[in-house]
Amino acid sequence: MARKRRHSSFMAGELNLVAMIDVAFQLLNFFIISIHPVDTMTHLGVNRPQAESRNKAPSTANVIRVTVFPDGYTLNERLTTAVKLRQELGRLARIDTKQNILIQVTQESTHGKLVELLDMCAEMKLTELSVISSAGY
Amino acid sequence: MARRKTRREEEVMNGSLIAMIDVVFQLIIFFVCTVSMQEKDTKGRIELPKAPNGIPVTSNSDDFRIDVEKNGSVGLSGMPTTDAELYDYVTKAMIQTGKGQELNVVIRGDLSTKHKAIKKVMDVCSRAGIWKIKFVAVKKAVSD
Repeated sequence: MARKRRHSSFMAGELNLVAMIDVAFQLLNFFIISIHPVDTMTHLGVNRPQAESRNKAPSTANVIRVTVFPDGYTLNERLTTAVKLRQELGRLARIDTKQNILIQVTQESTHGKLVELLDMCAEMKLTELSVISSAGY
Repeated sequence: MARRKTRREEEVMNGSLIAMIDVVFQLIIFFVCTVSMQEKDTKGRIELPKAPNGIPVTSNSDDFRIDVEKNGSVGLSGMPTTDAELYDYVTKAMIQTGKGQELNVVIRGDLSTKHKAIKKVMDVCSRAGIWKIKFVAVKKAVSD
């Protein structure tokens, strides 16, 4: 009697699809895990007054002075809040975006307060920013 | 008879090879995950302030990046640096890149850093002749 040949589950020349799909999923997992989404960054540029201009008496005409304190801001020596400062900067920007903004930062102020102010200036398209450090609190 | 044995041996070999590749990928994924956790530990030292109105930029390898941590310590590429060393590095970078005073200096300061620490870095840059400085901020966080 002829014996029926048992066909093995794997014939020579055939691809083992299950294993291939398994490897494909492994590759997919690898790439999904290794991709790191990053935050969108921005650079806020400022100028420092140069040595020659420091020796000259600063002209107060057309210069907006903003002082950064640890707990708030002053605009042209008048105490103000962040909201009012933004409004005032917006009003000044509508007149001229090339106005010089002189930013004085006190030693104990945090970097976050300075960046918050620079962000307001970026929002209002004010680009002529100079930063100096104040010796006060 | 001998032929069947050969086929079975082939099947066993194929099976164990796939399992080996499987395990290799598992190991790779494990190491990738552990390495990324370590990176977050070092990068998380500086919490950047937010500036949603800034113009988005991509990091440029030409940027001269200075890190200032919350406690005021200054670092370059993760290495703590003194003021004198920072001045040397800045002046060397100005010469080596050929950009001179146009060297793109960016300061990555923690939002809680006191301004006196930032001022020290800005003073070093000014001594080296760099008058334009940029501060790095987060325009849009991934978690937003």
